Amino acid sequence: MADERLELPQGTLDLLILKALALESLHGWALSERLQQVSREALQVQQGSLYPALHRLERRGWIKANWAISENNRSAKYYKLTRQGEKQLEVEAAAWRKLAAAVGHVLDMA
Amino acid sequence: MLNDLLYRMRALFRRNVVETELNEEIRFHFDREVEKYKKQGMTDEEARRSARLAFGGDEQVKEDCREARGTGLIDTGVQDLRYAQRQLWSNPSFAVVIILTMALSIGANSAIFSVISSVLIKSLPYPEPEKIVRVFLTSNIYPKFPLNPFDFRDYRTHSKSFDSLAAFSRGDMQLSGGSTEPVRLHGFRITSGFFRVLGLHPQLGREFDVKVETPGNGLQVILSDRVWRSQFGAAPDIVGRKITLNAQPFTVVGVMPAGTEHPGNEYRSLAYGEDVDLWWPFTFEGDPTRRGAHYIEGIGRLKDGVTAEQAQSELSAIMTQIARDLGQGKSDWQVMVIPLYREVVGSSQRMLLVLLGAVGIVLLIACANAANLLLARAATRQREIAVRLALGASRSRLVRQLLTESLLIALAGGALGLGMAAGGVKALVSLLPADFPRAHEIHVSAPVFAFTFLVSAATGILFGLIPAIQASRIDPRQGLHEGGRTSTGTGRLSRLRNALVVSEVSLACVLLIGAGLMLRSLLNLIHLDPGFREEHVLTASVSLPGAEYKTEAVVGRFYDTLTTNLASIPGVEAAGAGSDLPWTGYDDNTSLNIEGKQAPPHDEFHARYHVATPDYFRALGIPLLRGRFFTAGDKPGTQRVVIINHAMAQKYWPGEDVVGKRVTWDDHPKETDWFRIVGVVGDVKDKPSSADTEPAFWWADLQQPFTSTDMSLVVRSTADPQTLAEAVRNEVRRLDPALAVADVAWMDEIVYGSVATPRFAFVLVGMFAGLAILLAAIGTYGVISYSVSQRTPEFGLRMALGAQRLDVIRLVLAQAAGLVLTGTVLGLLLALTLARVLKNLIYEVSPADPLTFGAVGLMVIAIAVLACYIPARKATKADPMIALRAE
Amino acid sequence: MELQRIDLPQGTVDLLILRTLSAGPQHGWAISERVQQVSSDVLRIQQGSLYPALHRLERRGLIKARWGASDNNRRAKYYELTRAGQKQLEVETDSWLKLTAAVAQILENV
Repeated sequence: MADERLELPQGTLDLLILKALALESLHGWALSERLQQVSREALQVQQGSLYPALHRLERRGWIKANWAISENNRSAKYYKLTRQGEKQLEVEAAAWRKLAAAVGHVLDMA
Repeated sequence: MLNDLLYRMRALFRRNVVETELNEEIRFHFDREVEKYKKQGMTDEEARRSARLAFGGDEQVKEDCREARGTGLIDTGVQDLRYAQRQLWSNPSFAVVIILTMALSIGANSAIFSVISSVLIKSLPYPEPEKIVRVFLTSNIYPKFPLNPFDFRDYRTHSKSFDSLAAFSRGDMQLSGGSTEPVRLHGFRITSGFFRVLGLHPQLGREFDVKVETPGNGLQVILSDRVWRSQFGAAPDIVGRKITLNAQPFTVVGVMPAGTEHPGNEYRSLAYGEDVDLWWPFTFEGDPTRRGAHYIEGIGRLKDGVTAEQAQSELSAIMTQIARDLGQGKSDWQVMVIPLYREVVGSSQRMLLVLLGAVGIVLLIACANAANLLLARAATRQREIAVRLALGASRSRLVRQLLTESLLIALAGGALGLGMAAGGVKALVSLLPADFPRAHEIHVSAPVFAFTFLVSAATGILFGLIPAIQASRIDPRQGLHEGGRTSTGTGRLSRLRNALVVSEVSLACVLLIGAGLMLRSLLNLIHLDPGFREEHVLTASVSLPGAEYKTEAVVGRFYDTLTTNLASIPGVEAAGAGSDLPWTGYDDNTSLNIEGKQAPPHDEFHARYHVATPDYFRALGIPLLRGRFFTAGDKPGTQRVVIINHAMAQKYWPGEDVVGKRVTWDDHPKETDWFRIVGVVGDVKDKPSSADTEPAFWWADLQQPFTSTDMSLVVRSTADPQTLAEAVRNEVRRLDPALAVADVAWMDEIVYGSVATPRFAFVLVGMFAGLAILLAAIGTYGVISYSVSQRTPEFGLRMALGAQRLDVIRLVLAQAAGLVLTGTVLGLLLALTLARVLKNLIYEVSPADPLTFGAVGLMVIAIAVLACYIPARKATKADPMIALRAE
Repeated sequence: MELQRIDLPQGTVDLLILRTLSAGPQHGWAISERVQQVSSDVLRIQQGSLYPALHRLERRGLIKARWGASDNNRRAKYYELTRAGQKQLEVETDSWLKLTAAVAQILENV
C-alpha cells in the first residue's frame, strides 16, 4: 500500500519544514498537522520521520529550538527559522522548482 | 560549522538531557495526536492505536534522531561494547584465562614502571635539581674519591662556577638527656651553604653560616622535622635551646621541614631519603698544608648556564694551582664533577632498563598468546561472522567490533593489572637492596595510571588487530556452507599461529637466558671468598661522646675493657672492635711515607686506614699471612706498630719480606714517628662484586695517631643470637649507662645485603622468565591441540589402517618439534645479541656462557614437548568411526 | 554550476526510469542518456543509483530484462515495462503530480 504513494524525498521534507517554519514557529505536532493540512492526500509524511529531520536541520543551524508553553498549557519544543535557514529556504525552493520542471518535461515527453 | 560542532558536543556530553528532551518531545506529539482523534469521536484506545500508526516505530524514530544528531559513531561504539561484553560473558573461562594473563603481564609492567617513574623519571626533590652536581676526585686507580677539606675550601674560595659549593661527611651523634634513653641519631657534618645547594630552607631558624666552620664554633645543630617532633614534642621555641649531643651542649639553630631528603652519600654507611636526623657543622681543623686525608664529599649548585664540564675544568685548574702553591708536583688526580641525578640513579639505571625490557618481553609473549587464543576462537566463530557479513554488516564494522572486544579484554586486564601492580610494588620495594636510590619514593602514581592505560590500549590493538582482520576476511558463502569447520585461509591462519608460537618460544628463551646468566653471576658472587668468615659474627656500633671521653687513653681504655668483657661472655670465641666493618662503604684514605722508598714523581703512597683492637681480625675471621696480630702489649710508650693487608704488601714491597719494614705519616719524622709493620693479613674484597682489594693498613687501637670514639664491635660466638645481642648491650651499659648501642646486625646479614642488587635483579628476571615460559607453553599447547583437533579424522584413519599409538604421538610431536626447535634456535641467537646489555650486571660470567645457553635450550625444549604431550595423547584416542562421521 | 544538476530522490529515479521505458525497451545507458537529454541536462541519473534502481524494479516485477544486441552490435541488457510496471507508472505519475502540486501550494502560499 505504501508503494502507491510517492515516498517523500528527503530534500523535499526539509524544504517543506523550512517553508512552514518561515511563516511561524511551531512545535513538532503542529508542524505535522500543518503539512498534512496543506498537502491533503498527496504527502503521506510518517509523523515520526519529521523528528529526525528537525534534529538534522537544527544541527545544521537552519532552525533553532526552544521550550515554551503550548496552547494546551504544556511545555513543548518550538522550532523557528534562523537567518541561515531563510537563505537555505530560498536555495532549496529554487532547486525544487527546477527539479519539478525537469521531471515534468520527462513525464510530458511524447 | 561551529553550530554543528556545538550541537554534536551537546548531544554527546549532555546525552541524558538531550535524550529526555527527545522523549518529551515525542510524548507531546503523541498526546496531541491522541487528543485530536478523540475529538473526532474515537475511544481512547482507538485514538491511541491510530496515533501510533500515524507516528511509526517509536524506537526507530528515536534512533533516526540520534543518527541525525551525529552521535551515531559513539552509539555504535556503545553497541560494540555491549556486543563484546556479551561475547566475553558467553565464554567465561576463555575470558578469565585471557584477562588474567593480560593482567599479570600488564601488572608486572606497571610495577616495574612505577619504580622507573619514581626513580628515573621523577625529578629529584629539590628546586632546579639539574643544577646540582657532586664533586669527587678521580684517578686511574680510584674512580671516585672523597675530597680533602682544605682542598675543598680552596675550591670554594676560587671557583666561579657555583652558586654555592658545600661539603658533607657522615657523623652520627648520640642524643641524651631527652625524654627517652640515649639514642644514636644519623647525622651529617655539613659546611655552610649545604642547604643552599639543595635549594632547601629551614622551617624554623636558619642555616649554618661560615663562622661555624671555625674550630670551637661548631656546637650548633639543625634538626630534622622527625627528631624535632619525636624527641622534642615539636616545641615551637626549640631554636636557641641547648641539647646534649655526644655529651656536649649543642645549640639548635634550625629545624628542616618534613620531606627534606638527603642527596645520598658515597662513603660510610649509605643514606638516602629522609633517614637523616640532624646536621651539625663541619669545622676545618689541623694543618692546612697537609692534604693527605680525604674524607669529605663535595656537592654544589651550578650558576645559570654553567655546565658540569665547565665546572670540572675550572676546579681541575684550581687543583693544579694548589699543588703548585704547596710545592707539589703534578699528580694524576683529577676533579670530577657529575650531575647529582647521574650519581643518585646512575648505578641502578641499567638494571631498571633491563627489567623493563624483560617485563616488556613478557607482555609481548602475553600478546602473542592472546592473539593466538582469539585466532582459535575466530575459527569457531566463522559461521556467526559469515552470517553477519551476509546480512550486510560491513567488514570495517566487524573489525571494529572484534577490536572493541580485544580492547575490552586488555583494559580489563589493565585495570586488574593495576591492582596487582599496587600490591606488587610493595613487594618489590621490600625486595629492593637497602642502598637502592629513592626507594621510599616508589609508589603507584598518576604517570603509572597513564602508562597502564596506554599499554593496555596498545596491547589490545596489538593482539586484537590481526585476529580481527583475519576473521573479517571470511567469504560469507563459504563460511556458511562449510558450517565453520574448516575453510580457506586455514593454511594462512595456521601459518600465522605457528609464527606466533615460534616467537613466544624464542622470546621466552631470551628471558630464560637472562635469568640463567644472572643466576650464575649471583652464585659466583655468593661463592666468592670475601676474605673473612661471616658466620656467627655479631656486629654493633658504639659512639663515645668526645666531651667525656677526651683523651686517647680514656677512649682506648674503654674499648680495651669492653672487648675483654665481651670475650668473657659464655660462647664467645673472639671479640674485637674496629674503625669499620667490611662492605659498609667505609673508604677513608691517607698518604704515607715509606722508609727507604721514594714515591713516584707526581704521586704519593696511599692507603686506606683502619683501626683495630687485638682480636678484631680473629673475630672477623680474617687470616694472618705473615707476622702477628696486635697484642695487649701494643700500647702507648712501646714500639708503634701497624698491620697491613696483602694488597698493600704487594703494591709497595713487591717480592720483599715486609714484616719489620717501617712507615710514617709525618713528613719530617722523628724516630718515634715511625710505625713498624708486624703482620700481613689476607685481603678483604672491597665490594662483594669486585675481586679487587685496595691497599689498607690498621693501627693498633691504643697507638693510633688520633682518637677513634666511634667503633664497630665484632663478636664471634656460637651463643644464641638473641641472648648474645642482649649480653653485648648489657656489657656496654655496665661500662657506661649513658651509651647507646646501634646498628646491631649479624655479619652474614651484611653479606646477604651486599648481594641484594644482583639478587633482586635475578629474582625479578627469574620470575618474568618463569611467567614467559609458562605463557609460551600455554601457547604451544593451544596451537598443537587445535591442530590435533583439526587432524582428528586423519589420525583416526591412520589408526584404523594399523598405525600404532606411538606413531601418532610421534607424528604430533614432530610437528611440535619443528615449531619449538625453530623458536629455541631463534631465541638463543637473539639472546646472544641481547645478552651484551647484561655485561655490567653479571659477574664472572660470559654473556655467551655455553652452560647457560645449553641448559636453557634443553629446558625450553623439554617444557614445550611436555606441553605437546597432552594433545598428542588425545590424538591417539581418535576413534576412526567418529572421526570420519564428523567430517 | 552546482545548481545545474539536482540530486534525484530515490522515488523520482524510479519514476523517471518507468516513464522512459514506457516509450519502449532500452538498455541502462540509454535510459540515463534519454533522461538527461529530455530534461536539458538538468537531470542525470548516476550509474551508482541507476543500476540498483533497475534491479529493485526488476525484483518487484515492474520491469523485466532480456539480453539483446545494442546499436553497435554488442550484447546489452534491455529492460522493458511489464503490465504491473505500466500500472505503477500511472500511480506514481499521479502521486508525483499531487506532490508537486502540494509542494507548489505550500511554497507559493506566502
